[in-house]
Amino acid sequence: MDKPSHLSVVVDLSPSQWHLCGQSSNSHPLPLSAFLSQLLAFLNAHIACNDENTLSVYGALPGKSILLYSSATAVPEEFTGPADPNTYRPFEVLDSTMMNSISDRVEALTDLEQEPPIGLVGALTKSLCYINRMSNASSTSTAAGGVQGPVVLPDPRILVVSVSPDESSSYIPIMNSIFSAQKLKVTIDVCKLYGPESVFLQQAAHLTGGSYIYLERPDALLQYLTMAFLPPPAVRQLLSVPTQDKVDFRAACFCHKNIVDIGFVCSVCLSIFCQPVPVCSTCRTKFPIKTLQRLNASKPAAPAPRTPAPTPPATSLPRSQSIGTPRSSMGNGLVAPSPSRNGTSLPPR
Amino acid sequence: MPSTSTATICTAKASYKKLPGLLELTSTHLQWTQDGKKAPSVKVPLVEAASLFCSKEGAAQVRLKLGLVSDDAGHNFTFTSPQPASLTEREKFKAELTNIISRNRSGVATPAPGTRPPRTPGVPGTPVPRPAPSLSRAASTSRAPSVGSDSRGPGTPVGDPTHDFRLRKKVLMSTPELAQLHRELVMTGQISENEFWEGREHLLLAQAAAESQKRGKPGQLVDPRPQTVDGEVKIVITPQLVHDIFEEYPVVAKAYTDNVPNKLSEAEFWKRYFQSKLFNAHRASIRSSAAQHVVKDDPIFDKYLEKEDDELQPRKLRDEGVDMFIDLAATAVDHGETGNERDITMQAGKQRAVLPLIRKFNEHSGRLLDTTLGEQPAKRRKIDSGNNDLYAQLDLEDLHGDEVSPGILLDMQDRRRYFEGRSMDTSQRAQIDVGAAVQEAKDNVNGWESRLSQLKIDRKAGDAALLSMTQNVAARIEVTKRKNR
Repeated sequence: MDKPSHLSVVVDLSPSQWHLCGQSSNSHPLPLSAFLSQLLAFLNAHIACNDENTLSVYGALPGKSILLYSSATAVPEEFTGPADPNTYRPFEVLDSTMMNSISDRVEALTDLEQEPPIGLVGALTKSLCYINRMSNASSTSTAAGGVQGPVVLPDPRILVVSVSPDESSSYIPIMNSIFSAQKLKVTIDVCKLYGPESVFLQQAAHLTGGSYIYLERPDALLQYLTMAFLPPPAVRQLLSVPTQDKVDFRAACFCHKNIVDIGFVCSVCLSIFCQPVPVCSTCRTKFPIKTLQRLNASKPAAPAPRTPAPTPPATSLPRSQSIGTPRSSMGNGLVAPSPSRNGTSLPPR
Repeated sequence: MPSTSTATICTAKASYKKLPGLLELTSTHLQWTQDGKKAPSVKVPLVEAASLFCSKEGAAQVRLKLGLVSDDAGHNFTFTSPQPASLTEREKFKAELTNIISRNRSGVATPAPGTRPPRTPGVPGTPVPRPAPSLSRAASTSRAPSVGSDSRGPGTPVGDPTHDFRLRKKVLMSTPELAQLHRELVMTGQISENEFWEGREHLLLAQAAAESQKRGKPGQLVDPRPQTVDGEVKIVITPQLVHDIFEEYPVVAKAYTDNVPNKLSEAEFWKRYFQSKLFNAHRASIRSSAAQHVVKDDPIFDKYLEKEDDELQPRKLRDEGVDMFIDLAATAVDHGETGNERDITMQAGKQRAVLPLIRKFNEHSGRLLDTTLGEQPAKRRKIDSGNNDLYAQLDLEDLHGDEVSPGILLDMQDRRRYFEGRSMDTSQRAQIDVGAAVQEAKDNVNGWESRLSQLKIDRKAGDAALLSMTQNVAARIEVTKRKNR
């Protein structure tokens, strides 16, 4: 751990989801309080690893996203006095700042009939902006002695701790964030504590080279955090971290929104249909009758290997596509051989 | 003229291969029956007639030679009737056969012989019908050695079995190796005929294509060279040559029609022509060595002498009609000076003596092209070219700018539901009491310090987590190890 690294944490603070997560009816419940303690320990560990490590924490609250802590901000007033002798000073600063922010925000939560979806996208975007700003600041500011050249923020990564399900409207922004992260060479790790498999976050981890972990024992959160998310990306080449390889790339058909394995693709706009249609619903291209007849005749009962399907709208990576079960166990880290996907292009008239 | 299917048009006593017999011309065939025999030994369908030759007028034997499409040698008939009956008979045959041959050459289906062949423009035989009435005695419409299979015409279906067979035979005859291969494989019965030709269709097609091509007019200027044989100057006059001369030099044709047979006989005509100044003027070379015989004044032929074509402008002006797009002369005034010296070699008309010859060559070439390519469309363009037409010529598609199209508007139906299909149903969420949840969150956040100091992880949970993660890593490492091996 010679080189410093930067960690940005995005914390999902949806009260309703945490309520569900902490319910004792779960197999391994994790209440918010326990979670926060373990998270703080993890953050302290990160700071302790290297003196120059930087940290920023963003909270995704219902309807908004807040910066909870940033190591770049100056130490606030109240800490300048004599400190608690039993605690390591940086830890104390970090913990207090963060928890005070959280409590303030949570207090400020108004009772609403329907809880708005959390601002995960906002937090993610803000983290990226933070990282970008830090990188540019260090590169543009030349030291007085002219010692340092352009320095990119060292090894930035983002850890998303999530308990909520995917929000469909956030798909496009998340994909955009992923592309920006790719450009910035930011690794996005995902720690899924509770809730259904998040396809968007799976793809975020997959595309940026991070690790996605669905916790089987949420009560041992700190174990997961230390083992999988503490090592910076540079170290991960030597110290393999666990990750879930199965990413759900399946597309849904445009007509019924069902998940399809074999589909028909419009050759003009690439929209996917589960059966041949005479007119594409998105681009309104008409297809010749002969083609329709031929395709109808060729609809296979069982998948037969043919020309590969087009990439689903979610991602454009030509990786082997596997269809994982929604709750795939982490023990199966093998990349499953993909059943070949079939798509027949419908040529327009 | 009888137009029934197999009516006999003319008959004559003629011998073939030294055997006496009867020569008959019907509407479909030319046949010769030996005396005493019932069936004709030689029966030639009229569509096969390709060329015609006759012996000279004053020759002892009155001969007629018919060349066939497939067989250049053809058949030789000698008319055995006493003179001058044989001569008239021969002339009659000649006339009919000439018509038939010209029709064959123009590829028209044969109606009853005796009707004039219809005019087909652009075909080499076009000039023929005009002098045909007067020249049927002297000229044969066929070009001498051409093998044109116009008799078949373009309408013959290729799948015709006899046609196929003929093609195959021709291909085999032309390539001896293939013939040998064919003999070895097919004659001995190893593979069938069809199988042999299955992979070689391209040869058959090539042969058919080669056959259907018509030989065009020869490019050489008509210039019969007299040959000196034992001091005697000879020129062989074939009907072919005569026809060519008439086509090349219409003056001679005119002279012929005027004088023959009133004032001169045919032989006389030609003899005097080749000795006249008119002929000398028609030579294709200005070198004196080409005129190998004495040039005498000739009262008849000298009338047709024209002035030498060596003025500034050629006597026969070409129909220019140049496409305005490429007409350099239109803007010649704009491209005046170049950096080059004026060319002294290629100056038109510098040598006055050569001018007539050059112009003769030009006319000949023009005539060749006209007959091959057809009527020049330049004339038409001059008449109806408005400004629109000219602009349309300039309007090249490549010069158009990039077309900016608005693109196809994509309108995905029901976009929101797209992702909800894969997530769990949202009904669970509605059941949560939001207020209680918020309160719970608040409680959880308070008192964090103490909780942090008492942080403890259940051992079993930790071990389980560690184990699963280790397994995950181990499995992945195993896979990479196996892959890299």
